[in-house]
Amino acid sequence: MSAAPATARPAARPPARRGGAARGPRAGRPSALWTLPGLLFFGVFAALPMALVAYLSLTTWGGLGDPRFTGLDNWTRLAGDPVMHRAVVLSLVLTAATWAVQTPISLLLGVWAAGRQRTRAVLSAIFFLPLLLSSAAIALIWRSLLDPNFGPLAWIAPRVGAPDADLLGDPTGAFLVIIAVTAWQFIPLHTLLYQGGARQIPASLYEAAEIDGAGRWTAFRHITLPQLRNTITTSSVLMVVGALTYFDTVLILTGGGPGSDTTIVPFLMYEAGFERWEMGYASAIALTLVVAATAVSLVMVRVTGFGAMRSTREGM
Amino acid sequence: MTTPRVGAAGAIVLALLATGCGGGSADDRMHVWMYQDTLVVVQDAAVERFNADSDVQAVIDEVPGDTYEDRLRTAMGSSEQPDVFFNWGAGSIAPYAEQGMLTPLDDVFAEDPEFADAYIPSILAAGAIDGTQYGVPLRGTQPVILFYNRAVFEEAGAEPPETWEDLLDLVDLFTEEGVIPFALAGADPWTEQMWLQYLVDRLGGPEVFQRIADGDPEGWRDPVVLEAAEMVRDLVDRGAFGDNYASVSYTEGGASTLLSEGRAAMHLMGSWEYSTHLDQAPEFATEDLGYVAFPPLPGGEGDPANVAGNPTNFFSITADTPYPEEAVAFVKSTDDEEYVRDMIANGEVPVTVGAEELLSESPSPEFATFQYEMVRDAPNFQLSWDQALPPSVASPMTTEIERLFNGQSTPEEFVEALAALQ
Amino acid sequence: MTASAPARPAARGAAAPPRPPRRRAGRPGRRRPNVLAGAGAFAWLAVIGVPLYVLLVATFQRSEDYTAAGPLALPADPTLDNYARAIDNGILVFVANTLAVTAAVVAIVCILSATTAFAVVRSRGRWTTGVFRAFLLGLAIPAQAVVIPVYLIIVQLGLYDSLVAIVLPTAAFALPVCVLILTGSMRDISDELYEAMALDGAGSVRTFLRLVLPMSRPGLATAAVYSALQAWNGFLFPLVLTQSRDSRLITMGLFEFQGEYRVDVPGLLAAVVLSAVPILIAYLLARRSLVNGLMGVGGK
Repeated sequence: MSAAPATARPAARPPARRGGAARGPRAGRPSALWTLPGLLFFGVFAALPMALVAYLSLTTWGGLGDPRFTGLDNWTRLAGDPVMHRAVVLSLVLTAATWAVQTPISLLLGVWAAGRQRTRAVLSAIFFLPLLLSSAAIALIWRSLLDPNFGPLAWIAPRVGAPDADLLGDPTGAFLVIIAVTAWQFIPLHTLLYQGGARQIPASLYEAAEIDGAGRWTAFRHITLPQLRNTITTSSVLMVVGALTYFDTVLILTGGGPGSDTTIVPFLMYEAGFERWEMGYASAIALTLVVAATAVSLVMVRVTGFGAMRSTREGM
Repeated sequence: MTTPRVGAAGAIVLALLATGCGGGSADDRMHVWMYQDTLVVVQDAAVERFNADSDVQAVIDEVPGDTYEDRLRTAMGSSEQPDVFFNWGAGSIAPYAEQGMLTPLDDVFAEDPEFADAYIPSILAAGAIDGTQYGVPLRGTQPVILFYNRAVFEEAGAEPPETWEDLLDLVDLFTEEGVIPFALAGADPWTEQMWLQYLVDRLGGPEVFQRIADGDPEGWRDPVVLEAAEMVRDLVDRGAFGDNYASVSYTEGGASTLLSEGRAAMHLMGSWEYSTHLDQAPEFATEDLGYVAFPPLPGGEGDPANVAGNPTNFFSITADTPYPEEAVAFVKSTDDEEYVRDMIANGEVPVTVGAEELLSESPSPEFATFQYEMVRDAPNFQLSWDQALPPSVASPMTTEIERLFNGQSTPEEFVEALAALQ
Repeated sequence: MTASAPARPAARGAAAPPRPPRRRAGRPGRRRPNVLAGAGAFAWLAVIGVPLYVLLVATFQRSEDYTAAGPLALPADPTLDNYARAIDNGILVFVANTLAVTAAVVAIVCILSATTAFAVVRSRGRWTTGVFRAFLLGLAIPAQAVVIPVYLIIVQLGLYDSLVAIVLPTAAFALPVCVLILTGSMRDISDELYEAMALDGAGSVRTFLRLVLPMSRPGLATAAVYSALQAWNGFLFPLVLTQSRDSRLITMGLFEFQGEYRVDVPGLLAAVVLSAVPILIAYLLARRSLVNGLMGVGGK
């Protein structure tokens, strides 16, 4: 992706040449049929399911036999379900916390790692390592490390004067663990994004600032941050949509517990669908999740400027 | 990535997929689903014997315990159903029976009276839905028993509890000694449910839960439930389960290991706990593993001889199996002498009528006899609550139990939350 | 673990496109080294490094010693038994399954997103604009949200409990991002090149194969890395769409080991380490493309 600097990208569309040389440019142009395979595939496994979710949310279905149409029953139940209300709050808090924890760390690490010193290169190679592990693997590692009786935590806790080692059994503790473990897992990716972004910033900007006698902090505030705007948007959208849909980590680390204190929306959906077998109700939760994810992405894109987002998209 | 390579990669992928298609259980073997634990060796041996003189080969698919019921239901909704599968009878197979997905076994029992008479009738009954038999008992009986570590008790100069006061004294004693009084796997709330089952039964008798199981959520408001919940609260506050129970998992072996390593003194658990230790810590199982019945409660109306747990587990046969005859032949092998002997050798207590004569072959005849008599003499055998209720209620119920044990809800809130479940 | 790896890319990085002004280290003493940032980075090194160290050490420890010795101690009596047990438990089969699924997903995604992106970039008309918009919207659909209907569709297709069942939806959900990546990539191809192809009388197929694909290599690499990671880390689809051992993927294998291993933590952790080996190898062999590919996901 580093072949052409973003600024040098040619205009997306060729200059209008509809009239003349009619045959020439037409010949190489693909017909709309080229989109069909991709569209069909996406349609059957992503768009059609969306429609089915909407339909199933109006039914009662236990996974066996046929769904029974029950109108808005699931939706009225959803609106009054305290567990769902809690799950929504937990999801929002988790999303906000994820962003607040991961963005500053990734941004600083990324900018730091963008420097070309040897130490930085060596350390960034190590920072990258969690990316090689799947969420399932990471959740299992942390679960083992935090086992209250047989893990390193059981060894450390009494030595630092903690009353018990039951971090995952404590509602706040378990929630913090999820924030920390997902940060451990995803900060490397976002660091990488910021590292890539920071390397695109023209060095001349810094040189000019240096001549003006700007300090390091001023340069960071007035050059680095504004220049990273697009990266911040992209990374934030990825983070937020990601946090809204954490599932593996919660299932393995806490199973939604203790009680239901880490039952965030996607986990509640899984529980309703595949443990309680209320597929219709689970579909209503799922649809809420889609609407939320879409709304959040749109809002973030609006807030940070649609134009910026657009060019980021095109630049991908 | 040039084109020919993409093409080559595509070809490889297609080839892989072609082999991958056979990845499911769509082969010509008879699939027997088992809940994965240390008892499966008995069924393994049964399959081996079955395959020795059958054209259709059976194969056991072990499904990890945590997800067994979820996996079963997803598979039952698809074309990859098992042919024969492990279950808990009652509520656990009711949805399949309603959809006509199970083979009724009434004829099998009617045609072979000897087979029908082989099982203790009260236990066989749990495998029937609305009068139709769908299950054949495949395991020993599994009452919930209070296990203890003899070495730990000796060191503390203590005796196993015979009354509730004894039990509370022991809690204080062991807490002082720095030993966890009761191992508890709080991350798997069905283990906490065992406590409530016994407390409710000892306090109010089986009628209290029966009303709930019959579909009346108001039954949760019975004062007995509140009292039981308050006793749980009291136990937790006294430190009966230590500090770290909330994130301990049973299926990962956390609680059992605490008991066998002597870090906990007692463990309320199903009788399979014995086989688990026999497999994981054999020396402890044969030397130091003690057991008593759950003690009576002062002023309780329930018969102290009542038992909670799983009367047994069952094999059921799916209606669409391509091997109906073979499947029946296989499930009928569960009363063969070899099968029964294997069970006993593995520490189980069979639910076949003549089994008591064989109990002397058990690795611990004493334990086997204890269990057998306990179940035989129990006026009521309470099936685990989460198996007796439909999943849409059972799953939130276990969450509420977990919240009660964690102190996330008060006994009053616990009762309210349960009564609100439909 | 990667002690030898970083040296190479670092050296290469220095030799690569000469951008002398950026190398602040090269500037004579005007700047003090950024002590604060350096300290922060080393703190983060501890955050990343210590758990990985504990993980690795534990895998060489006998399970009896694991709880006794304390997490930071080196194993007194190192052993490979844990790895042997993990392999006995079939971890290699799960890795092979996952490799097959990953290869299939990458192939499907690269082919379909390339053809779609080509049409979006080069074909004129409302249809392709509409298609592009549809994919943009598709970005916001979390895979979690549609797992129930996907299960229903897979069951109807008779694919339940097969590797194909995982490949299809995983690929479908990787498509939107990859279409976006590739449209970006293909827009960078200059019009002169398209015109030259057209003047040669090349049709759309030839243009695609001879010009567009070779010129989109960085984009394809990013799409491949992205979709490969999706497939490799996939959890929910395998959880819901498969059950038997024969179609078990590595993430599921690990999840289920959790129950099988009981308190054998070193065995479980050895399985975790083995599960990362293929990606680690890919990382060592192609660190630059992997890193650049991932940076590409973020755009420029």
